[in-house]
Amino acid sequence: MTAEALVRATDVTRSYGVGALAVPVLHGVSLEIRAGELSLLMGPSGSGKTTLLSILAGLLRPTTGAVELCGVPISSLPDSAAARVRRANLGFVFQTYNLFPALTALDNVAEVLTLQGHSLREARAMALRSLAHVGLADRTHHRPGELSGGQKQRVAIARALASDPRLVLGDEITAALDSATGMAVMEILRGLVGPRRGVLIVTHDHRMERFADRIIEMEDGLITADRPGGHA
Amino acid sequence: MRRIAIQSLLHDRGKFLAALAGVAFAASLLLVQMGLYAGFLSMASGIIERTGGDLWVMPRGIEVIDNSEPMSGAARAAVSSHPCVRRVRAMVYTFVSMRKPRGTPDAVTVVGFEPGGDPIVPSTFHRGLPQDLHAPLRAAVDHLDLHKLQIEGDPIGASLEVAGQTVHIAATTEGMRSFTLVPFLFTEIQNARRLLHLADDRASYWVVDLKDRRCVDDVVRHVRRHADLDAVSTEAFIESTENHWVKGSGAGSALAFTAILGLVVGVVIVGQTLYAVTREHMRELATLKALGASDGEIVGFVAWQASLLAVLGGGIGLAQSLIIQASIAQAGLVVLFTAPVVALGLGAVCFMCFVASLWSVRAVLQLEAAEVFK
Ligand SMILES: Nc1ncnc2c1ncn2[C@@H]1O[C@H](COP(=O)(O)OP(=O)(O)OP(=O)(O)O)[C@@H](O)[C@H]1O
Ligand SMILES: [Mg+2]
Repeated sequence: MTAEALVRATDVTRSYGVGALAVPVLHGVSLEIRAGELSLLMGPSGSGKTTLLSILAGLLRPTTGAVELCGVPISSLPDSAAARVRRANLGFVFQTYNLFPALTALDNVAEVLTLQGHSLREARAMALRSLAHVGLADRTHHRPGELSGGQKQRVAIARALASDPRLVLGDEITAALDSATGMAVMEILRGLVGPRRGVLIVTHDHRMERFADRIIEMEDGLITADRPGGHA
Repeated sequence: MRRIAIQSLLHDRGKFLAALAGVAFAASLLLVQMGLYAGFLSMASGIIERTGGDLWVMPRGIEVIDNSEPMSGAARAAVSSHPCVRRVRAMVYTFVSMRKPRGTPDAVTVVGFEPGGDPIVPSTFHRGLPQDLHAPLRAAVDHLDLHKLQIEGDPIGASLEVAGQTVHIAATTEGMRSFTLVPFLFTEIQNARRLLHLADDRASYWVVDLKDRRCVDDVVRHVRRHADLDAVSTEAFIESTENHWVKGSGAGSALAFTAILGLVVGVVIVGQTLYAVTREHMRELATLKALGASDGEIVGFVAWQASLLAVLGGGIGLAQSLIIQASIAQAGLVVLFTAPVVALGLGAVCFMCFVASLWSVRAVLQLEAAEVFK
């Protein structure tokens, strides 16, 4: 496959703590995530999946090694510059949804867009399209408290999607959902994959493999397997 | 960020209302204390302000209107001889002992003024008219002092024994009370002289109106050439009198202490609310940070909430203080909301909300975007 690399990690290590107390968590990970792929990052608890995801997103700095996000060496940029790169290229989805309880579904999506510089009108129009895309056109004025878990996760996906990111990252995004709802959410994420866009999801759930082009397995801070998934 | 912040604050009604009540409480406490202070200042110097004039002439050494001594008519002639002087008014202002209707000894301050002068010194009458004070040994007292003076029922025609003579109340005034709460007894100058056994040309003060305000300094120098006389501009006399009574007494400190207490209570209540709301939204704020929001934008979450509380709470506090002002006025205390008082009070409320927001600002600045995955 020759699609463009969205994120490229080279010999990434990461330790938590300093000096004698430092605990190494990643032991030298090299990885490339390309557009047009939905990849799953799998592995036992504590193997370093979340740590790796945070480093790929530029939220955490590697102890050694380098990360390039959409061609930008994000791991060596100052925080504010890294934030701008994330703003332009990344969407996030979380296990806990992380929606503002006071805002409607529409505003949860739109307000992020206004922070990215869109006018409120523009942002609301974009948010509406994005919510329609995840099948929530009839729930735009509901607040998170009035939505089911699956619907909340779809609002979160709409938020991740609204600014048309190159890469969507998710950590355990179906862990709080029942299996049918989780599958429906994966279905939506599958639909986001396109020639310019890739998706990388951390999960424990092997039933998700059928949505994936690629399965990356980790153990003890190392990649132990990188194989095609059920969708490939 | 404004809408996220404000809607998140309003979402938790209970917390929002508690914080709002905290700001309003602090604001009204602050405004009323400052208004009382301004009121005390104006009570201390009220007579000088109402009498007006461009400068006041007095015996050497007098700094405060209340500590007066009679001067001779020679002083009047000395002042009048300056070409810039337009008018010289006599004023008697003397503390004398008296006996109340039920025989209790007490004291009043006799304020003797020239009739027909402009401005009329007891300027606001509750009952009666300035002319009613014209007959011999007629006087006016403030209607809020009647109780203290043991005058019950209709005050008009009631009598008091002042300096051994019987004085009849012919009118009552309104809002003419002294800082010391020793009642004023307003009389025309001739009646005052008669009460105090002063010769016809004597006065406690000579109040001077000038043809041109610009010659104040020159007239002051002119008066001071007389070894036993002094003169100060009306503004300076107001200031030294206010300094003596309000700033020199503990009144200012006591009011300031209460006001600061109100601010501290406000900081704690508002700080707690802002911090609780911020804590509850840490995940969402970390999400915004992960999505590329700057620290400045994240701080906006706290800043907008603090601003909303300051504006709404300050407004409610101001409305409350106006109600308190009206009810305190019935008890005879003056709460004065001048523009500087209101500006300073509301400014302090904004500062309070700013200080209260610092804990939350610190918390959001320490927030790591990587925490979104925790
Ligand atoms: N902030 C931190 N400080 C210290 N150690 C940490 C920190 N975050 C993670 N670790 C440690 O790093 C290791 C990897 O953690 P990580 O969260 O990346 O694992 P994971 O593969 O995502 O696990 P799980 O499947 O349980 O989410 C764990 O041993 C964890 O205790
Ligand atoms: Mg994890």
